[in-house]
Amino acid sequence: MDRARPFPNVVLIVLMLGGAVAWLTLPAISVAPNRIVQGTPQHAVAALGWGPTLLVLMPMLAMAVLAWRPTPRRLPGVLALVIVLLIAIPLWLSGVAASMEPTARLGIGSALWCLLFIGLLALIELRSRLALSRPLGWALLVPVVLVWWGCLTQWLAPLALYREYQGRSDQFYAALAQHLMLVGAAVSAAIVLGAGLALAMRRHSRLRRAGFGVLNVLQTIPSIALFGLLLAPLAWLSARFDWLADLGVSGIGWAPAWLALLGYSLLPMVRNIFVALDEVDPAVIESARGMGMSRRQVFLQVRLPLALPVVLEGVRITTVQAIGLTAVAALIGAGGLGTFVFQGLGQAAMDLVLLGALPIIALALIADALLSALTDVLRQGGTT
Amino acid sequence: MIELFGVTKRFGEEVAVDDISLRVAKGELCALVGTSGCGKSTTLRMINRLIEHTEGEIHLDGQPVRTFDEVALRRRIGYVIQNTGLFPHWTVARNIGLVPRLLKWPRQRVRERVEELMVLLGLPMAEFAGKYPHQLSGGQAQRVGVARALAADPEILLMDEPFGALDPITRESLQLELLDLQARLHKTIVFVTHDMDEALRLADRLVVMRQGRIVQQGSPVELLHDPVDDFVASLLGGQSRGLKEAALTRVRDRMLPLGPRLLAHERVAVDAPLSQALSLMLWHRVDRLTVVDDNDIPIGELSLRRLVGSKA
Repeated sequence: MDRARPFPNVVLIVLMLGGAVAWLTLPAISVAPNRIVQGTPQHAVAALGWGPTLLVLMPMLAMAVLAWRPTPRRLPGVLALVIVLLIAIPLWLSGVAASMEPTARLGIGSALWCLLFIGLLALIELRSRLALSRPLGWALLVPVVLVWWGCLTQWLAPLALYREYQGRSDQFYAALAQHLMLVGAAVSAAIVLGAGLALAMRRHSRLRRAGFGVLNVLQTIPSIALFGLLLAPLAWLSARFDWLADLGVSGIGWAPAWLALLGYSLLPMVRNIFVALDEVDPAVIESARGMGMSRRQVFLQVRLPLALPVVLEGVRITTVQAIGLTAVAALIGAGGLGTFVFQGLGQAAMDLVLLGALPIIALALIADALLSALTDVLRQGGTT
Repeated sequence: MIELFGVTKRFGEEVAVDDISLRVAKGELCALVGTSGCGKSTTLRMINRLIEHTEGEIHLDGQPVRTFDEVALRRRIGYVIQNTGLFPHWTVARNIGLVPRLLKWPRQRVRERVEELMVLLGLPMAEFAGKYPHQLSGGQAQRVGVARALAADPEILLMDEPFGALDPITRESLQLELLDLQARLHKTIVFVTHDMDEALRLADRLVVMRQGRIVQQGSPVELLHDPVDDFVASLLGGQSRGLKEAALTRVRDRMLPLGPRLLAHERVAVDAPLSQALSLMLWHRVDRLTVVDDNDIPIGELSLRRLVGSKA
């Protein structure tokens, strides 16, 4: 291949041209005079005129041009332009907000969602092309987050999503805390129980078959059904035993949610812990015993450390899954960010739905990134 | 000293090792040879009780191994296996220091010992101490494996096909290093292999096993001259046994002092095996070689007649 003239990066070109078309043809925002009324969609040009619209358009066109001959020198330039694009969006929105009535509400339209999505996809593509490390990839998002934050607090008061947040900021943090506590409690219980189960299954092959069978069935029950199934027995238990009721256990609320989350978390957890412990190279275990390590030493110094990256992989999968499932738990009164999603659905207020959904997505991404990073650190001991 | 008296191992119905008796003297290198599944590895692993024997007795220095605590027993015995079994999450230095640390040696002494062994095995401290096993070549990794087995200075070393996974060149150089180490350290070594050339090269005593039984044991030369049956004979190379024996004898043992005749043009080193001398004669189509010492100075001569040991 000719090194001086690399092939066009089709991914970036398609993304950016698609973004440009979406930006010009789809409604960028919707404006409503108040919360009740459905907003009227507006195109970018109609909202703020050609000048600012072109300012957002230019980085995309420039990227498409650069991506036609993506030399190693040009790619960092493309990366900078993606950041510019992601920063330009809140600034453009701020421009729109400045020209609005104080009571009016500004909704984010499909064109802007497209641009945000395309920007993130481009970032992922560039991160792998440039072989950036994970921390550096996240560091790139810092200026973007800062500008968004600045715009939100300074100029974006009319943004409907932000309005919904301001009206419920106390509720929001309480829901966030509830969400995290439920996930944390379910995942940590799953780790303890899963480790115990996996260890027992390694000893007894009968338990292994039965255990995986039960967990597999549990995994296939739809989440709402499982929440529902737990309602009756828990209600009965709390009516029967006062101390359970005192603890706050009842047919609805945190108890069935926690139990259901734990049930779903057990399979991936047990499977990963079991496989991780089982797949340690038998030659290594054999030599550890042959060198005169006691059973305990073999387990703690050899088997466990070598299994840990795969165990953490299980924790990661389980955590991300639990963050999503906890949203459904709001239906049985367990609280959490899902509350906003279902309230919003009930009131046909999409911005309220987003107030619940966006943080859930963000939490899942953050948990995934943190645990992946931790796994990488543990792997660096030389286990390839 | 290791002694096995009528040792049998059964896995359920199947007899893996059948009533074997064996004595490995102190400082001896004993090679267990046989086709795969003949019970040689099982025999080895019964000595450090990774596998418990079903019948008979195994003694170390006159004491039954069953009377030792199994963990303490294994710490007294060096153990090297084919795939090195190095801990992938530990550095080379930490791997080598394993048994001394298990024995709770003071930290300083462990460090000195690790350094000493790395020098002994030709692994420069500065280059290798901080490396992880996956960064090593096969030969380097097995050197680390041997160093780890030697770390607590055990009297006994058990080696289970230690060089089986290496390429021929690395294997040969590690075999020579082992001979060199053994000449200095005088360990009691039990060495399992299916490679007869390796066994002939290394062993003081050869034990041929088949279907869980010892078929024949003795020095390599004894076995070559007097195989007890066709199986042992074919294991030892069948009709090329002459060449295997020639590989065990040195030129020094057959050469004559320099005579009045002109020096032969082709030369052979005094410590080379007879097989090499024979190969040189075949290659150059001559029947006489000049024997030279390390400094390439002629000190004797070797004729084809002397080489083959002809009486006439």
